[in-house]
Amino acid sequence: MENENRDFVTLRLAGQLCGIPVLQVHDVLSEQIITSVPLAPPAVAGVLNLRGRIVTAINLRKRLGLKDKTDNIPNMSIVVEFQDEPYSLLIDSVGDVMSFPEDAFERNPITLDKRWQEVSGGIFRLKGELLVILDVEKLLNFE
Amino acid sequence: MDDLLNEFLTETSESINEVDVQLVTLEQDPTNKPILDNIFRLVHTIKGTCGFLGLPRLETVAHAGENVLGKYRDGELVVTSESVTLILAALDRIKEILAGLEATQEEPAGDDSEIINQLNVVASGGSVEVPQKKEVIKEKDFVLPEIKRSENVVPGEVSLEELEAAFLAAPGPEDDDEDDAASEKESDDNLLEKIGGQDAVKVIIHLFHNRILADMSVKALMAGVNTKESKEKMGDFFNAHLANNASGGPSVGIAFKSFITNGITQTHNEIIRGLLRSVLNEVDLPPLDVEAVLVIYDDFSKNILSEASNHASQQTKQNDKDGATAAKSGESSIANQSIRVNVQVLEDLMTMVSELVLTRNQLMQILRNNHGSEFTIPLQHLSQCTTELQEGVMKTRMQPVGNAWAKLPRIIRDLQLELNKKIDLQMLGADTELDRQVLEMIKDPLTHMVRNSADHGIEMPAARLAAGKKETGVIRLNAFHEGGHIIIEITDDGAGLPIEKLKAKALKNGLATKEELDEMSDNQIQRFIFHAGFSTAEKVTSVSGRGVGMDVVRSNIEKIGGTVDLKSIEGKGSSFSIKIPLTLAIVSALIVKCKNDKFAIPQISVLELVRASKDSEHSIEHINNTPVLRLRDRLLPLVRLDEILGMADAVGSDADVDSPKKGDDYIVITQVGTFTFGIVVDQVYDTEEIVVKPVAPILKDLHTFAGNTILGDGKVIMILDPNGIVSQISDKVADTTKFDMEEEDASQNKTTSDKEAVLLFSACANNRRAVPLSLVARLEEIDVNLIEKSDGRPVFQYRGRLMPLLNLDNSQTFKTEGRQPILVFADGEKTMGIAVDEIIDILEDDLDIELSSAIAGQVGTAIIDGHATEIIDVAYYIEKAFGTLGTSSTSGHTSIENQNHILLVDDSKFFLNMIRPLLSAAGYKITAVDSASTALDLRDKGRDFDIIVSDIEMPNMDGFSFATEVRSGGIWQKTPMIALSSHHTPKDIARGREVGFDDYVVKLERDTLMTTINEQINKKQNAA
Repeated sequence: MENENRDFVTLRLAGQLCGIPVLQVHDVLSEQIITSVPLAPPAVAGVLNLRGRIVTAINLRKRLGLKDKTDNIPNMSIVVEFQDEPYSLLIDSVGDVMSFPEDAFERNPITLDKRWQEVSGGIFRLKGELLVILDVEKLLNFE
Repeated sequence: MDDLLNEFLTETSESINEVDVQLVTLEQDPTNKPILDNIFRLVHTIKGTCGFLGLPRLETVAHAGENVLGKYRDGELVVTSESVTLILAALDRIKEILAGLEATQEEPAGDDSEIINQLNVVASGGSVEVPQKKEVIKEKDFVLPEIKRSENVVPGEVSLEELEAAFLAAPGPEDDDEDDAASEKESDDNLLEKIGGQDAVKVIIHLFHNRILADMSVKALMAGVNTKESKEKMGDFFNAHLANNASGGPSVGIAFKSFITNGITQTHNEIIRGLLRSVLNEVDLPPLDVEAVLVIYDDFSKNILSEASNHASQQTKQNDKDGATAAKSGESSIANQSIRVNVQVLEDLMTMVSELVLTRNQLMQILRNNHGSEFTIPLQHLSQCTTELQEGVMKTRMQPVGNAWAKLPRIIRDLQLELNKKIDLQMLGADTELDRQVLEMIKDPLTHMVRNSADHGIEMPAARLAAGKKETGVIRLNAFHEGGHIIIEITDDGAGLPIEKLKAKALKNGLATKEELDEMSDNQIQRFIFHAGFSTAEKVTSVSGRGVGMDVVRSNIEKIGGTVDLKSIEGKGSSFSIKIPLTLAIVSALIVKCKNDKFAIPQISVLELVRASKDSEHSIEHINNTPVLRLRDRLLPLVRLDEILGMADAVGSDADVDSPKKGDDYIVITQVGTFTFGIVVDQVYDTEEIVVKPVAPILKDLHTFAGNTILGDGKVIMILDPNGIVSQISDKVADTTKFDMEEEDASQNKTTSDKEAVLLFSACANNRRAVPLSLVARLEEIDVNLIEKSDGRPVFQYRGRLMPLLNLDNSQTFKTEGRQPILVFADGEKTMGIAVDEIIDILEDDLDIELSSAIAGQVGTAIIDGHATEIIDVAYYIEKAFGTLGTSSTSGHTSIENQNHILLVDDSKFFLNMIRPLLSAAGYKITAVDSASTALDLRDKGRDFDIIVSDIEMPNMDGFSFATEVRSGGIWQKTPMIALSSHHTPKDIARGREVGFDDYVVKLERDTLMTTINEQINKKQNAA
């Protein structure tokens, strides 16, 4: 890396801007056919076929305790890997890949909701908006 | 790592394991020459390779071991337990060194002198000819370690003293000192030296040649051969072989070229062998050495013969073929037909094939939608090839389960010595094949369990004798296929699991409260050993509980989708049964739909498909809101897939049952072990080959699914796991406490009440009547207009036959219009119908006849469901319909002249009354008793029976104990036994078989009972 900046794929979840480190993102998918898995934890939306691999889809809204989507705009998803297993994170929309200066980084405010606190790797102060860094490992660690 | 070294390590560890096993066999059968030869060869190869690779430490240990083995082989030493222990110790040392070698690529440092000394002492100790020397060596042995330590010998090297000791120990070689250089390398087992070195061999070979040339019958074998050259070659060959260094000399093909090219036959070979023997005797060799040389000759003469036949076959094709080439090709055909492949390569291959299968499926799916495509033919060909490739690759992964057992005889042997117990390890079904991956996973749990059985299960010989058992305990391993699974049973006839101690421990560890424990069945308490809390329970172990690590065993087995179960009777023994999937790869699956989702059910557990609707032959009925299906005289429990998967829209199951779904239901009849049940689904599609892919870790806890896969249309589908569904049902049932497994167990323990499924109906002015469901073949409703008369009696055309219809008594008449409900009873091929007014219910109740009846056609009156109910006597009506019982006996059964005599044991008088007429109607002679002890009295009186049919649930002595008692001795030991029970969980059945029942029949199944009795009697007669 030539500078101190870190690159993130930005995404929106119930209006909130979030980011996932770009190197962890394997794919960005449009709406997919998802096979639901009965009896699975609520955050698991189901499983889908990504070029011959079976990917577990995670409903990020459910995972973060947000309300279900009410509009009919198709979901997007971001495929990440965790312990060699592919997971597809269902989100509302995907934005650009952005790079932020290290000095815009903030730790999580301690008053942040516990569920967010768990999965957030910190905050970036942007112009007029805040971006929550999603920590993939913590996000997919259901224990 | 160095390729050569790598290969050496794999090969050697394989050889070592084989020697391990073979040695134990040898110990039991010391005279078994082939085994001894094989062991010797293996150890010799190890030694030889070590020397070649420059591994001195390994070589010396192997060499010392080989010495002793050589003595065995030459018959100079008797195989004893002590010496085998020592050799095994040497093998262990070799394993240690190998492990070090594998880790560091260098021989680890260490001192082997002690073990080598001991081996040398044993090697000399057995030589009867030189008892004096034995003494000397013994003394030396005690001194030697001292000397060695002071001299600080480099690890792995043999001290000079030792070598000298070894030479001194060598029995009776006249010219020990002649060939020192050679001895130093090869030492005392070297036949070459005993015979008298290379010079002696030269003489022998010379004489040998002369004899052959003098003998008319074999002279031709030497035709066209330079005698001098032949002598040289043969001499070198013998030298090498006698010096136990087969690789050093020329090959068989070169040394015996003349024999081979001239087409030696078996007869020739016999003559030549005789000539060799006479030559050897002539040079005054001791008889033992003569035999030893002949053994070596026999070894390679096989090669000569096979090469000769190779050569001959080649000559037929090509007139003048070079003999050397012939020999060469012969050699390669003898050489290994197999190659070593890295496991990872196979794994990758399997993954690729799986992907190929998936893609093929997708292509085929596309093809189905495009008729008349030009791709049809090539794609079909591709499909064919893919299938074959898949099968081939699967085969490479299969290994006999015996591979996982290979270490067990050794472990048991060591434990026997260590614990002073006598144990007989029986291994059945070792060639049952399963996937390599699975095999690796069960190796350790298996070893652990067998060790447990030997350690804690089998008692000390004295205790066994005191308990009336044979002194030698038996541990039996049995592997077999069942459905898509492989079952491995580990059974011992030891002490069993002590219930009281387990209880105390469970209480102490806080696993259950006292109240809970009191309500638990023995089996449930025994299952505590699988509990994690027990693994640290040192106390239980020391007082003969099992438990160390059983939770680990269970979790290991469950990791690969297997289950482990146990049955144990205190004082009688324990039986563990492991059920594991055959392979983790490709399976064929049935695709079903439930609500809007598709699911796959592994085809292997699907028995059949039934469509149920209101107006078809099959319909779903309910007992207390539990759906069941009547299928060919059996009642199958049903589960609704949507309920199992929590997809039912109705909240409670009751609501769902009350408003049965519109339209048809498809029922997938599924078998898990011996438990059969139906899964109700909305739709059934076709079957597809699928590759089971494991689900993501976060879904691992869902036991309902075995995995997931991608279908031909590219969609992901979840694969249902029937095992998981069953365990889920039993959990669910446990919650609602109906039809509870635990309750079943409890009722077994109480052994007092005998519940029968009875059919309640009304007839004759609304009297409540009942008949055991087991006797009823079918329930039918027939159109009264179709009732005809024959011979003045009402009959009905039923399934292409005339079925007589009866009224229960004269006061009852058939209905005049509409449909007449009838109960159909079958006797062999004949059926009979009894008209009734209304069928009320089927329920389970005690059938205690309170009032016996004088009225013909009635057994008596019992209280069923709170009402006085008359029990009808089916035998009476069968007699009425078909005339006397004797004549109605079905053809195919034994005629009266040699009637088979059945002993019927059942505490339920009622059941005896019901089954007795049926059996006698079938032409059997019956003796019925109402308790196991009465039955045993009959045995002691010397009464003989052809077959014993016994109930399981009986007061005082239950069927299991009865069977155990019968099998333990006496005149009934060999009599076939059939268990009869209303409980038919796989556990019960397995237990029944274990205690000695030849078959297990569910009480409800009348026809099965008849066929089973017939089968067993035929089997007995065939055996006799």
